[in-house]
Order: sequence, then structure tokens, then C-alpha cells
Amino acid sequence: MDLDKLRETAAEVAARDDVKYLIGWEKGSYGYRVAPAFAEDADGTADMIFSPLCTANLATYLTLVEKLPLPRGQEPDNRKVALMVKGCDSRAVAQLLVEKGIHRDEVVVIGCPCPGMVDPALLSEKYPETEEIAELKWSDDGFIIVRNGEETAVPREELLAEKCRLCRYPNPVVSDIMLDEPVESWEPAEDEEVTEIEGKEVEGRWDYWQQEFSNCIRCYSCRNVCPLCYCQDCILDRINPSWVFRSVNFSENTAFNIARAFHLAGRCIECGECERVCPANIPLGKINRKLAREVRDKYGFEPGLDPESEPFQASYKPDDPEDFIL
Amino acid sequence: MTDKPKIGVYICHCGINIASTVDVETVEEYALKLPNVEVARTYSYMCSDPGQALIKEDIKENGLNRIVVASCSPRMHEMTFRKAIQETGLNPYFLEMANIREQCSWVHEETEEATAKAKKLIAASVAKVRLLEALESKEVDAEPAALVIGAGIAGIQAALDIADAGFKTYLVEKTPSVGGRMAQLDKTFPTLDCSACILTPKMVDCANHPNIELLSYSEVEEINGFIGNFDIKVRKKARYVDFDKCTGCGDCAKECRVADRFPSEFDQGMGKRSAIYLPFPQAVPAKYTIDPENCLYLKRGKCGKGPKCQEACGVGAIDFEQQDEFVEFRVGAIIVATGFDPFNPSRKPEYGYDDYPNVITGMEMERLVSASGPTGGKVVIDNGEEEIEPKEVAFIKCVGSRDESVGNEYCSRVCCMYTAKQAHLIREKLPDANIRIYYMDVRAFGKGYEEFYDRVRRENVRYIRGNPSEIFKRGNKLIVKAENTLTSTPVEDEVDLVVLGVGLEPRAEMRQIMDLLRLSQSGDRFFLEAHPKLRPVDTATEGVYLAGCCQGPKDIPDTVAQAKGAASSAMIPLAKGKVTIDAQVAEVNEATCRGCGFCVEICPYTAIEMVTVNRFGHEIEVARVNEALCKGCGSCSAACLSDSIQPKSFRDRQILPQIAALGVIK
Repeated sequence: MDLDKLRETAAEVAARDDVKYLIGWEKGSYGYRVAPAFAEDADGTADMIFSPLCTANLATYLTLVEKLPLPRGQEPDNRKVALMVKGCDSRAVAQLLVEKGIHRDEVVVIGCPCPGMVDPALLSEKYPETEEIAELKWSDDGFIIVRNGEETAVPREELLAEKCRLCRYPNPVVSDIMLDEPVESWEPAEDEEVTEIEGKEVEGRWDYWQQEFSNCIRCYSCRNVCPLCYCQDCILDRINPSWVFRSVNFSENTAFNIARAFHLAGRCIECGECERVCPANIPLGKINRKLAREVRDKYGFEPGLDPESEPFQASYKPDDPEDFIL
Repeated sequence: MTDKPKIGVYICHCGINIASTVDVETVEEYALKLPNVEVARTYSYMCSDPGQALIKEDIKENGLNRIVVASCSPRMHEMTFRKAIQETGLNPYFLEMANIREQCSWVHEETEEATAKAKKLIAASVAKVRLLEALESKEVDAEPAALVIGAGIAGIQAALDIADAGFKTYLVEKTPSVGGRMAQLDKTFPTLDCSACILTPKMVDCANHPNIELLSYSEVEEINGFIGNFDIKVRKKARYVDFDKCTGCGDCAKECRVADRFPSEFDQGMGKRSAIYLPFPQAVPAKYTIDPENCLYLKRGKCGKGPKCQEACGVGAIDFEQQDEFVEFRVGAIIVATGFDPFNPSRKPEYGYDDYPNVITGMEMERLVSASGPTGGKVVIDNGEEEIEPKEVAFIKCVGSRDESVGNEYCSRVCCMYTAKQAHLIREKLPDANIRIYYMDVRAFGKGYEEFYDRVRRENVRYIRGNPSEIFKRGNKLIVKAENTLTSTPVEDEVDLVVLGVGLEPRAEMRQIMDLLRLSQSGDRFFLEAHPKLRPVDTATEGVYLAGCCQGPKDIPDTVAQAKGAASSAMIPLAKGKVTIDAQVAEVNEATCRGCGFCVEICPYTAIEMVTVNRFGHEIEVARVNEALCKGCGSCSAACLSDSIQPKSFRDRQILPQIAALGVIK
């Protein structure tokens, strides 16, 4: 990706009168860190980047904006928000449009065709972080790590994030501006992790998730980072009725995680952010991908592809399968 | 609620329906100990007058303010008890029913266990009834007009009845003429009166009635609103003939360049018509219509040197520039009378309907024996060389009925009788013919039917019990292969003509109407009535009623009876001038609604819409419920991710304590 072109386009968009601010990525304070950047004008875009470390799905910021009460007579600021999206992020935008979480005229979508992200955990493990700023680039067949001016070439398979191995949509599905030519899609890997769990007996699956959910510390990072978990008043926070108690134990943890997974069935666009941010390393992607697979296989539906489509939860066909209803 | 709850629990014996399995006395003792319960009583029939009086008395004497009736399903008697407690001045929605019959005594055998379950169900209802809120039902004005969709005998009869009662009636018919399937029939069983003779006067009546607006060659495009206030939009398709100028003389059809080229729908394709046509001589309205699919001028923009029909028409009625028109109006009630399709026997290839011209359907037979039919009522067939009178005629019954292989498990209810009638008509016309009827069972259940069946049997018509397995050709004869199941002998009969007693199927295009009116189908794919016994003409959509074969196969007497029933039901809101809107509807918490619109999409009654509201200076979208349309089904509540829409009386805070009392959750 041509960074000059990226910054030039970003500067133009951020300078527009009808744009409130632009959300992109920039280098973090140390090591491999990449941070979200908010530019209210052209100057703010000078350090923006797009690299294999830009894992964060910025679509989540679209719905985090609080609409604070306005003093009488004050007009709301209805300018657009511009944001950069990868293929998976754009699906979140599409799904938000379907659910009217945002409206099309409220956003400017800048598409970044994505050759695949690295798995940050894997990267730090294999190529230890330095205090110095390090960066990553794409090469023709993999990644190039630049540390202290020294370049190391790494094959793609070695560091490619799991969600990117499974990715079917590396090019943005919704965009106003595209920063580059579309990348060539790759053959998505078989989701063996999900198949493996499916292969287990009910008890085996229960044991597996019991083990995993027992580690949950109920920090709600998964919920907060998820671009599609944005109810202002989350039912998991309700006290009366209290659907999930706050105690951290297997029963309540399971209720929380399963409720979240079900609220995302037919909505999750598999950006993998929940799993990336989980401090307890719970493989949340698996449970979401399992539900996505069910929805795909049983109903032929994939969320976040067409902003005009009917929401999955609200669509009904007389011949919908119902064999899973006891 | 302001007052301390004072609950009365009324346990019904329902004769022995409940009392034989549930120990009602023990349940009564138990109920008295439940929190806030002041009175608990048992009675043999709580729904009877003395039973209701018990409740009313207690409300007055003991100041009860919440009532639990433990009896049957609320579908049965919720309204009964609501009315009863309303008479005392208490809000009718302060009632909770514990279903200890359908959900307890009828499904259990052990008294001990059934009694324990009845106790739990009552405890749950007591837990909920305290939390119920007072609801007020509303009244809205009803438009004193009705829409009838479909002008076969059902639609015609319904429209005439409503119009005679003094209400404006819009009768919409898709085809150019009213009359429907009945107009195609020759004579009608069992009395053998001529179908046209009894139907045409009604057809003319409905065209001339001052209260009926007949919209023929028209289709309903849009229906919005609810009982009392349906807004209707109808498309009047272009006939390309000026309705007011056309005198119905028929000169145009004679002169048409493609005269008598196209299969006549009315004659089941056995006769021919021109591109400009009157479906049949007695058609109402007697106005010609140009078929745009076949008219040379409309199809190609050119018809010789100029359209001949235009030349022939003495009054200048032909208008190729005519466009579809739309009419809009409001009605208070709708009757659906869209009829049926005859089963297409191509789906039973073993009977060779597609291969052999002398295998015909019962509907085709009707046209063949009809004096106004393509042969003028002569029963003749083409045996490949010449037109002859058939000597051997075979009827096969249950073609496309009672047959799982084609997906129709139901009996079509008319084939036994129309087959017998046609056998009789053929016997009249061909006294020497050999007539055989292959049957599974003979169902002659109506008034005069069994007698007619007997008469036909005495007319030397042979009934052979056994469904043929195959029809094939040998020489210029057809062979019917079957097993006579009464004698267990295989038969192979040589015949000249086979008449397939085809059954009735739901209309292929009924989905359109289903989508317009949010109707459901029953297992047989016909429209579903609200209750199979007690509300046979109502639908789940209030203000929409069913008449005739769209609800299930019917003969003419039943169709007319149902049409009259539907008309009388439809007239209730029209005559009252008001409709009551039930108060148990969904409500949106606009403070937490995130405006995703899932509820809008999922609502089966289109009762929810998105509205823009101002929340502290910000324009935001939230869902809003149209209380007149909402049925309180709760689908929206299930779809809502933020729990922002809930049906009144079934809110989380009301049903969770109820569930908790069952001991399921903490």
C-alpha cells in the first residue's frame, strides 16, 4: 500500500466541511503497537498508516459516540464520520447499516484492500518486541519485519492471523473511496477448529467450554470491542430482571458468553476482535464462527455483505429448518 | 399499584374434566395459603352463571382486586371472565388464568402428580396477577363498507348479502367476468338444476345493485390498515375497450384478424376465442376485453392495414391507448373468496392426460356436456379418424385428492358427486354406453346426495372399487388397468373416453393475497380459519373473513352457506360502526430502543413502524406500535436485542416472577 496516497486521501477527507473527523491507524508508542487515530483536520492524518499490524476494527467507534443531551437551541453536529476499513471491518459497517445502527449518509468509508493481518500474539512470541518502534510491511509472499532498521522476511503462513486464513472477503464490501486496487482473494482455509469441536460428543463440548469459560474474568472487553455489540442499555447489565448475575463463576460466565454469542448469531462478521482482546485467551472466535456456520449452512445467510439486505433475525421463510428446536 | 393486592382464586371442576384427576379441594386449601390470597373457592362449572356470580359476589363483598381462575385455556374463557369482573367495576385485565385442564388434568393420569402440578400453576398465576397493570381498550370508528375479493359464487353471494343490508360493497374480480368456476358447470348435483340458470340472475344482480361497485378485470394491489379502517388500492387493468361505449354486440370478435385462434379459458381450452373476446355469452359485465398477450396490434404494434376490430366497432369503443387505472377506497371489513384451482393431472403421468386427447378432466367434461359448450352439448370424441360417440366411458375418482404422492392428503369433497352427476348426464345422452366408475370410497354425505348416488347406480353405472394404476393406449382404445379390490381380481378395461375426477387445490397465486392480508395456510395449503369449529369464517387477521373454496374444498351449498356466514360476520363491525381495540398490545421503551427495526421486519401484522423522535436535541429513530394492528403475539419481543419492546401483561417483570414461582429460576 502506498502510504503517501493514503495520507493524501485521508487529508482530503478530513479537511472536508461535512466530515467531523476521520478514524484511521497510526504507529503506537513502542514496539509493534498500532493505535487508532482520530483526525479532525488534514494535519491529524500525517502519520496514518496501513500495515499488517492494523488489526483493530475501527467500525466499533461508530456506535461508541454518546449522544449527550444538548442545551436548548443548540443544533446537533450531524457531520459525517470517515473511517478506514479492511474487508472484515467493512462487513461490520454493512451489518450496522442493515441494523440501522448507523445511516449511510453519516459515514464516509475509505476502503483498504487487505492482504492479511499478522497475529500480534504470535508475532511477539516469535520475534520479541523491542522498546524501539518496529514496523511490518507486506512483501509478495509474506511479511517483512523492520526492527532497528533491520529487515527480516517472514513467510505468510508463519504469522498470518487465524481469522485471515479463514477470510473470504479481503476487499471492502462497502466503500466510498478505495485506497488501492482490490487484492486477489485467497482460498480460505477449512475451519478445522470448529469442525473439531463439532466432532466431539455433547459432554466433550461441555467440558471444553467449561474449561474455557471458567477462565473468563467478565471484563466485558469482548463486548466493548465488538462493533456489533452496541445496545446502549445491554440486557446483560440489567438488574431487574437480572438475566446474568455479576458473580464470576462458571454458571454466570457461561450465561454471559452464550447470551453474547446468540445475540451475534447471524450478525457476527468474524473480524476476530473479541478473541484478540480477551485477556483470558478464551477462543471466542470459535463459538461465533460455529454459529455463523450454522446460519450459513442452514439458512444460506451471511451477514454484513449487502447493506440493503433483510436482517437475519427478522427474516422468515416457511421452509426454514427447525430441526434444532427440541 | 396502589392498593394492597387482594387475590381471589377460583378453581373449576369442569364437571369431571378437571376434578377427576386433580384433587380440587386440596388445591383450594393450598391456594388459600399463597401470599395475598383472600378467597379460594372451587365450583363445578366456573364459567356458568352461578360460577361467575361467585366471583362477582366476592369482589363486592371482600373487595378483591385481582382474580385468578384455574380452569381451561384462556383461549376458551378469558373473555368470559374478563366481562364478568368488568361488570363489578374492576379492570378486566386484572385477571390471570391458570390452565389446569389442557395443560394439566387432560395430560396426566396420576392424581397426586396432577394435583401437585395444578398447585404450581396456580402459585405461578398468583405470582403474576399481583403485577398486572390496568389496561384500557379503545374504540375506533369503522368504515361502513366492505371489500369482497373474487366474484365466484362465494364472492357474489357475500357481496349481495352485505349490499342488501345497506352497506357499500366493492366486489373485485380478476377476470373480465364475474361467475367464477360455477359459471363453467353444466348441471349441479344432486338436484340437476342448470348451473347457469341459477347463477346468472345473481351475476346480473350484483352488477346492477346500487350498493355494489363491481370492479371486474381488476386486482387488489395494496391493503393497509386494520379492522374498521382498511385502505385499499385496486388496479383496474386496461381492457383496451371503452367500458361505457361497448354494447357487447360482438362484431369486433367476429372481425378480429386472429378470430377463434386461442384456447378459451372458459371452455377449459376445448373451444376457441378471438384476441378480443367475451369470456362466455352470459358474461357480466357484457363488455369485450382485448387479450394483450395475443392481440397483434398490442403485441407488435401492427395489425394488417389497421386493427379490424376498430373498424368493425360501430360505437368506437376500441381504445389501444388505454392504461391501467387505480382506484382507492376505505372499507371496514374484507371477505376473501378467491376460490380454487382444479388439480392438474399432468402431475399423475400414469393417467396419460398429457399424452392421450381422450383422457380429460372433470372440468373439461362439464364443458363437453354443456349445451353452451364447444360441442353444443354433444358428447363426442375424436378417435383419430372421425368424431364418434364414445361407447365405453371410464371415470376415475380421487385424482389429486387423498394422495400423498402429490402432496394432497385431503378429500376434495365434490368429486364423488360430480362424477356421479356426469355419469348420469352421459347416461341421458348415450343410453347404450358402458359407464364405469373406479373409486376408493364413495362419500355421498350431503342432503340428497346418497339418494342421488343410489339413483345413478340404478342407471346401470358400474362402480368398481380400485384406483387404476395406469392408462395406456392399445390400437385406438384406451386401456384402464386396475385391481378390483372387492374381488381381488386385476382388470384391464378397453374404453373410449376417460374422465379424471380431479380434485380441488389452493390457487397457485394465493401467496399474493396471503402477503397482502397476512393470512396463514393450514396443512392442506388452503387459507387457515381462526378456529376450525367455532370461527370457521374468521381469520387471525381481524376484519378479514373467508368464503368458499379458498378455505378448503366445498360444494355449492356449503360455499353459499359460508359466504352468507362470512357476510354476516363482516357486517358486525360495519353495523356497529365501531371496533374495539384490545389493550393487550406491545409497548416500546423508547429510552432503550436502539432503532434497529428488527421488530418492524418480524411483525406478522405490520403493526410496528419506525418514527423519528427528538431525544435531548438529537433526532433518533425508534420503533412505535400501532395498537389497532398489534395482536400482542410477542414476536417483536423475541427479536429485540435490547429488550425494549414487550407485550403488556406479558412484560419480563410480570412473567419472570410467574416462572420463578414454578421453581425453574431463582
